[in-house]
Amino acid sequence: MNLNNRNFIRGLCLMAIALVFGGVAYNNYTLGELSRSGPGLFPLLVSSFLFVIGVLTVVRSHFVDPVPLDYSVKNIGIILVSLVGFSLISHFVNMILGIVFLVFCSTLAGTSYSLVRNVKISLGLIAVAFAFKHLLGLSLPLY
Amino acid sequence: MEVLHNLAFGFEHALTLQNLMYCALGCTVGTLIGLLPGLGPLSTISLLLPLTYSIPTGGALIMLAGIYYGAQYGDSVSAITMKIPHASSIVACIDGYQMTLKGKTGLALFTAGVSSFIGGTVAIVVLSTMAPALGEVGFLFGPADYCALMLLGFFCVSFVSSGSLLNGLAMAMVGVLLGMVGTDVNSGTARYTMDLPFLMDGIGLISIALGCFGIAEVVKNLDNKNVLTPFNGKIKLMPTWPEFKRIIPSALRGSVIGSVLGILPGGGPTIAQFAAYAADKKLSKYKHEIGTGCIEGVAGQAAADEAAARTSFIPLMAIGIPENAVMALMMAAFVVKGIQPGPNMIGTHPDLFWGLVASMWIGNCFLLVLNVPLVRYWLSVFKIPYTVLFPAILFFCCIGTYSINNSLDDIYTTAVFGFIGYLFLRLDMEAAPLLLGFILGPMLEENFRRAMLLSRGSFNVFVNRPISATLLGVIGVLVVWQTVVFIRKLIKSPDHHIHSDNQGESAKAPTPVAAAATSGSLASGE
Repeated sequence: MNLNNRNFIRGLCLMAIALVFGGVAYNNYTLGELSRSGPGLFPLLVSSFLFVIGVLTVVRSHFVDPVPLDYSVKNIGIILVSLVGFSLISHFVNMILGIVFLVFCSTLAGTSYSLVRNVKISLGLIAVAFAFKHLLGLSLPLY
Repeated sequence: MEVLHNLAFGFEHALTLQNLMYCALGCTVGTLIGLLPGLGPLSTISLLLPLTYSIPTGGALIMLAGIYYGAQYGDSVSAITMKIPHASSIVACIDGYQMTLKGKTGLALFTAGVSSFIGGTVAIVVLSTMAPALGEVGFLFGPADYCALMLLGFFCVSFVSSGSLLNGLAMAMVGVLLGMVGTDVNSGTARYTMDLPFLMDGIGLISIALGCFGIAEVVKNLDNKNVLTPFNGKIKLMPTWPEFKRIIPSALRGSVIGSVLGILPGGGPTIAQFAAYAADKKLSKYKHEIGTGCIEGVAGQAAADEAAARTSFIPLMAIGIPENAVMALMMAAFVVKGIQPGPNMIGTHPDLFWGLVASMWIGNCFLLVLNVPLVRYWLSVFKIPYTVLFPAILFFCCIGTYSINNSLDDIYTTAVFGFIGYLFLRLDMEAAPLLLGFILGPMLEENFRRAMLLSRGSFNVFVNRPISATLLGVIGVLVVWQTVVFIRKLIKSPDHHIHSDNQGESAKAPTPVAAAATSGSLASGE
């Protein structure tokens, strides 16, 4: 029972997904019968199958050498914040500022950080955004 | 004769100035983006799909197809010059990179280009003769047969893309469940929408694709922190005549293997490359040199890659079922344009079908005359450091998601799937089967419900119909074979423990040679 074993965790995750989808299907939607199935039957069938796969994965993980789980919260966190920030700023202010935020925030995840370079990247991307808007006809809320 | 007539009809449609432009643009942009680390054909297509929305149907499909094979060529270029493997170019890393080490980069790139051309040409002959015939077969399919075919597709894709049946199948099922989100077509019930209005139409395909392939890959590359050394060597493209002669037999062999494997469910470029490489190892005149950087090791797999990429359009256009994740994306693009791929497509939209077939060949010519000579300039993309590149990739992901519905809310969905995709990556779960499951899920449900309705709730319908019984039989054989392999390994190992999970790792094995050896023997054993 090793919580740092990738294969074992994977099995648990699959079982959890199956339980969530299957549980909702069983409790909230009509199942009907096979010949006239309701909206809940098919998701329930698929989640049961997924649950079985999850169980098999857990069983299998006992026979296979454990693979350590490695992850870093920092990078994925920074990227998610910059995406959400981009969307929020584009919504409430405008997309040009959104692009600047995206560049300055996301590059925190890189190996090196340089203000001058970020200004250059931002200018380049803003130019691309203008090209998209005026040449390809995308309606971007740039300003 | 009819085929020639049809092809002429297709060329008539493809050879307009506009369509030629779209084709060239698709090939070029596809190659450029395909070159970037971590962006294979799947992410390239999903990134560029939104750009085609404003283009007329015929041009859009031609451009998308161009993007697809452009991306594949770009992939093999980065594999040959810098040993950056994508799922679609693992084999090119072996001999291609060895050739680079020997200073024969130009020859390797030329070989890959010419072999792709040969592979593509053979595949187009197969496509134009087989697709209409298979379309007739498509009419024989009932709901139960469709179900069985899709299930077989899941099994095969799981097996090919992640090497382990269990992992891939799990992802396909997760994809099917995600496909259930939205309004149920039969009863109008909103399922799994959490009362969020924008989920009523289901989750956007592009959000899933860009999240799992674009954003998750970017974060993975950032986690790795290894700095790429850009390729700085000289490139001398033109081969000598004896070298050129060595390309042909290997490329032809690869083309045939690729064309056949491209049609099968779950088939496509990946498996075709391994099979062609294995075949070259056994049959080639220069088999003793393969693995050390010889022409045959590059030519066969490149031809198979290209041929399979083309013929994998056959099941999509003839039966209406995409056989792998890339084709699933293509199908989404068709549907956006208001065309339902399937047995009726060739009849109702002959201009599109034959135009696409013809444009494939034109795309091949573009690859040959544009990309092969210009490749040294493309490679300068790598002189841009990743720190500059990844904000741009993120930006394109955002624009891609936004431009589908002009809705900033979709970016949140993409971010959520970026996170989920990252988790899956870290848990070693391949996202390609998920995408296929997501697209096939609603079709699977509809056909399953229809089959059950027609058979009054009896599962016998799956066994009584010859087509579905055969397909399910194949699934049974696959499952039994996998179980036997696992148990055998378990019994053979002294402490009843399996030490290296080499099947699951084969997709990203550090030593592609080992991966090729295992998968190659798998492919030839089939």
